[in-house]
Amino acid sequence: MVRGAGRGGRGIPGRGGMGRPPFSRPRVLMLRPPFDLILAEPAFPRCKPAPDDAALTQALLKRHAELCPTPTEQSAVLSIVTKLQTVLDNLVVAPGDFAACQLEEVRQVGSYKKGTMMAGKNVADIVVIMKTLPTKEAVEGLSNKVNEELNKLMRAEGLGNVSSTCHERGFTVTAATAAVRVLVTTLHQNLRKLEPEVHLDYKVISSHLAAIRHSRWFEENAHHSSIKVLIRLLRDMCARHSGLEPLTPWMIDLLAHHCIMNNPARQALPINVAFRRSLSLLAGGLFLPGCAGLPDPCEAAHSRAHTALDLAAQDHAAATAQTLLRVVARGGHRYVLGLQAFEGGKDISTEITVWDGVVVSPLAPAYHDSPEPMDTEDKDDDGIQDGVAA
Amino acid sequence: MMAANNYFGFTHGGTQYGAATASAAYGGQTGYAVAPAATAATYGTQRAAATGYDTAYQAAAATQGNLHAAHAHAHAAAAAASAYDASKSAYYQQAAAAYPTAAPPQPQPAYDTTAKPAYSTPATYAQYGQGGARGSGGAKPAYGSVYTATTAAASYPSQPYTAPAAQPAKPLYNAASMYVAQQKTGGGGSGWKNYNKSGVGATPQRRPKPQPKAQQLHYCDVCRISCAGPQTYKEHLEGQKHKKKEAAVKVAAAGGAAGARACGASALRCELCDVTCTGADAYAAHVRGIKHQKVVKLHTMLGKPIPSTEPTKLTPAKKTVAGAPKVSFVASGGLSTVGASSSVPRPADKEDEKVEEEDEPEVQPVGQDYIEEIRGDDGKALSFNCKLCDCKFNDPNAKEMHMKGRRHRLQYKKKVQPDLEVKVKPSMHQRKLAEAKAQRMLVRDELWARRRMHEAGEDDERAYWEGADWWRGPHHHHHHQGMGMGYGPVGRRPETSDDRHVLAKHAEIYPPEQQLQEIQRAVSHTEKALKSLSDALADHARPKNQAGKAVIKTEDKKDDKPEGKEDGRDNQLFSFVGEGEAAPASGDGAGAGGAGGAPVGGPGVRALKGVMRVGLLAKGLLLRGDRDVRLVVLCHDRPTVTLLKRVANDLPHHLNKVKGPNEDAKYKVELQPAEGAVQVSDGTVNVVVSLTSAVMREPAEGGDIKRDDKDVLPRQKCLDALAALRHAKWFQARAASLQSCVIIIRIMRDLCRRIPNWTPLNPYAMELLVSGVMQSASGALSPGEALRRVMEALAGGLILEHGPGLRDPCEKELVDALGNMPAQKREDLTASAQQFLRQIAFRQINKVLDMEPLPKVKHASGGWKFPRKRRRSNTDADQDTHNGDGKVVKTEEKADVSEINSNAKK
Repeated sequence: MVRGAGRGGRGIPGRGGMGRPPFSRPRVLMLRPPFDLILAEPAFPRCKPAPDDAALTQALLKRHAELCPTPTEQSAVLSIVTKLQTVLDNLVVAPGDFAACQLEEVRQVGSYKKGTMMAGKNVADIVVIMKTLPTKEAVEGLSNKVNEELNKLMRAEGLGNVSSTCHERGFTVTAATAAVRVLVTTLHQNLRKLEPEVHLDYKVISSHLAAIRHSRWFEENAHHSSIKVLIRLLRDMCARHSGLEPLTPWMIDLLAHHCIMNNPARQALPINVAFRRSLSLLAGGLFLPGCAGLPDPCEAAHSRAHTALDLAAQDHAAATAQTLLRVVARGGHRYVLGLQAFEGGKDISTEITVWDGVVVSPLAPAYHDSPEPMDTEDKDDDGIQDGVAA
Repeated sequence: MMAANNYFGFTHGGTQYGAATASAAYGGQTGYAVAPAATAATYGTQRAAATGYDTAYQAAAATQGNLHAAHAHAHAAAAAASAYDASKSAYYQQAAAAYPTAAPPQPQPAYDTTAKPAYSTPATYAQYGQGGARGSGGAKPAYGSVYTATTAAASYPSQPYTAPAAQPAKPLYNAASMYVAQQKTGGGGSGWKNYNKSGVGATPQRRPKPQPKAQQLHYCDVCRISCAGPQTYKEHLEGQKHKKKEAAVKVAAAGGAAGARACGASALRCELCDVTCTGADAYAAHVRGIKHQKVVKLHTMLGKPIPSTEPTKLTPAKKTVAGAPKVSFVASGGLSTVGASSSVPRPADKEDEKVEEEDEPEVQPVGQDYIEEIRGDDGKALSFNCKLCDCKFNDPNAKEMHMKGRRHRLQYKKKVQPDLEVKVKPSMHQRKLAEAKAQRMLVRDELWARRRMHEAGEDDERAYWEGADWWRGPHHHHHHQGMGMGYGPVGRRPETSDDRHVLAKHAEIYPPEQQLQEIQRAVSHTEKALKSLSDALADHARPKNQAGKAVIKTEDKKDDKPEGKEDGRDNQLFSFVGEGEAAPASGDGAGAGGAGGAPVGGPGVRALKGVMRVGLLAKGLLLRGDRDVRLVVLCHDRPTVTLLKRVANDLPHHLNKVKGPNEDAKYKVELQPAEGAVQVSDGTVNVVVSLTSAVMREPAEGGDIKRDDKDVLPRQKCLDALAALRHAKWFQARAASLQSCVIIIRIMRDLCRRIPNWTPLNPYAMELLVSGVMQSASGALSPGEALRRVMEALAGGLILEHGPGLRDPCEKELVDALGNMPAQKREDLTASAQQFLRQIAFRQINKVLDMEPLPKVKHASGGWKFPRKRRRSNTDADQDTHNGDGKVVKTEEKADVSEINSNAKK
């Protein structure tokens, strides 16, 4: 998988020339994928009866039902997204006297597009690709225009007003029960023209472009509903445990996809197995430096999904997952899943717990901000390849 | 109309001069003359190239009557001719410039009258012709000096050109004054110059000009101001301002069109005030301005011609036009400039202008959103701030102009709308930038190409790594690896810091040579003694005749010692049974685990069939400080306490027999009935010899219960010994062949010895775990990776309750090798592994291994560049200087591995 990606992205028509001196750049080591019990099945045949996971499965399904947005919420989001899409499409096709910016394309992205919205978070995302450069004024102009047009539409249908507020990613259109974040980005070729003080931040802009790629990838590869279920569960779990909070939705998407689909049979795994697997992979250092992690299918070759996290966050996330894994192994899944609050809402991953006389204790961080910067020869080659946009 | 065409011809001639074709340039010169000339066609036949200009020339020549001179001139050296022509054409062009816009019939004759005599003056021309005839060497310098000496300002034509038809006098006036200026600056008094003087000076039209000056209104033409009286006028002339201006004019004249160059493509000029504006708006503003109004008023008063308010268009091609107001008559200093720059054909020029004129109004103000108004308290806009360009204006007009301006548009293009059209002004600087960019692109392409090649190399390498056993033999491999590209060792993977730590630790825990020798000696002696004992027992049990035979056999065997097995050094079963001895028994000996068809009883069957090393010794897992090794003796029948006692009693005697006379080892034999074993000890090494039999595996009640069960050794112990035999065999067959596996198991043994949390992990389970982890890796692992992977497996909850357990491959049934581990121990072990994993990930593997961090390798990245001929182990020894036996250790280990391998193949 990794090797295939290595060839794809950067096609430079063959320029021959043999016998050149070696390319004097420290080579990127081939990183190994972590130990994955599902893939290592042949080496570790099961020799004791499979545990009864009915309780876990039930808990997972119950929690998922809680996390799914209600039909009312869904229709509220749908309504405003449709209207906003109409308004923006009009601006793309016929800008008229609107001169603050020129729009190239409008795309829905994010959890709304992927069908992984969570209950209580009625925020859809739309990416607007500008032909012009995304200055703050352009965003403001677009925001005002959209607000105006949308309000016209809303009034025509006798619905309440919407308001729109600008922020560093674009602007958010808020209606009574739902909101849409309009994320502003620009064409690829404009990326290098961005200037920090005039335009939106480069990272923000490119992350919005990445969001488009992500939703396309998701559409093509991760439409299985098990994946969506697992994504909701993991997102909820990550949100409730401080160590896992830095994991981005995209990482969770990739992780869920990997856990459900990446097995020898290429058939979707049961949700309980996949859930255990995801915890086990995180605990096994999937997102630690020096591990191949999950290759990002939407970035250039060799780019790993988890390198967006800083080292301390990687350590913390792994440690949290390790504790949670042991809690779940002791039957504490109800707390981990959030079906039951742990001692008044405390974070179970930071507490010492006792299960049937077995003491489960959290782990100390391994990463220290050493004054001497950590050697980066092979461990954290983060960002070496990540700069190359797909 | 005819005249206009002719004038077009002049310019064109100039152009062709620029192209350095002598004849055409010549034509240009003559083209001028065609206007007065009616007809003439005598000369044309001589000319090869019959162009329009040529005919024109002929005409001119005819009229002028100096055919021979012209002829001489025509055949003169190209340089001379062109120089002459150029000068003339330059002049003509300037003069002609008056026509395209004005094109009145009046000035034309006037012009003719001024110019024509000048050129047809026989004297000058003849002189010139002579010069040409003499050759370029003589002629060229002469004229060249003239032209360069008379430093010409380029702007002369501008005035005639733009001057409305109504004022034909003005250009001439200007020309005159310019002529004066030329006189001042011009050095060489050549005939040409004189001719100029006479030619122009003779013009009647020039006269009226100075006259107004002499009137009561004192008008300074340089500064374009009027003075109240002669006094002030004089003062003005002597004044700083006037001098400055005059000097500027001269400088401008000397420097050619330097000033003009600065103005961009769309510069507009107000002729009246001699002001250049950068744009239509600026021009409009100027015209509205008080200064302009004043000048207009003055000029009206003076009755001077007032140019139309239409701005003069300045194009870069006509740099000559844009300089200072006063110009030399012949733009000689700017000859090159004139020649080159005015070389644009007239019509093209006009088209250019048209295009530009059309372009101009198209510029729409952009970026209104980025201009913020700064309002005063009363809400009135006080000033404007352009955020794109970071500049301020107070005037709304200025704002408007700014928004149309090039700088602003460039900023807008840069920051807002990348596809905005902005006229680019090609400057030297930009061209350089572009070149630099192209250069960079080239370099980058090359880098990419190289990197691609590099990656191709990596792919090969990867295939190699992912293939089978690289770890054992990269040294031999990589020299013929690679693609013959001078890449150095493609097949080598750089050693990571983790690898170095693991290997250093391994070297540290590996037993020293002396310890190994001691153990080897003790074990070897024990084995030989057991063999001897077995022979004795067999002799004892056998009938006499057979005994003798056996003795012979033994002797025979001793004879071919070099071939036969002396002890169990190869970690396989050391069978006591001789070759020719009971055939069925040999089959039994080979299948240690197969208790199947073992013949029971019968004469000639040995009680002790063979001995095999098991445990650490057989697996090669001994660590520094390990003293206890195990041997298992396979008995033919159920081992009994009686047999054990007998072995314990007789063994010392046999030990002394086998031990060499020089060896002073004192062996002590100890009976351990509870263990079902005897212990042979030489003070430092303890060899535990367990007795067992394959028949012990059969259910006790199923077999024949002839003997007293009390006498039989404890069954569990015997089974354990049997299991140990199988484990040793399994290890040799499966685990030892896996990459890095033995190293990691040694490291893990050390870990289990050191850390209490890990102690519950029994050795066999640990071996199973490690080998399983190695086996499941898709490729070979380096030691560092292998250790990390083991930690990953444990951290991922492999041994927690819901895990699959560790299947024991040496048992028929599904047995969890770790089945008896309590939950809390599993939990603690997992937690510890999780912590270790993160420590490894964050470069603290030394904490896991309990050692000092190794210093970084000096050539961390350069290691792979230079083929390393030495063995890897040497490097280890270097790094770990206090451990001198690093090399030995590695050699040992390699020997071990190869030995095990060869055995596995058997």
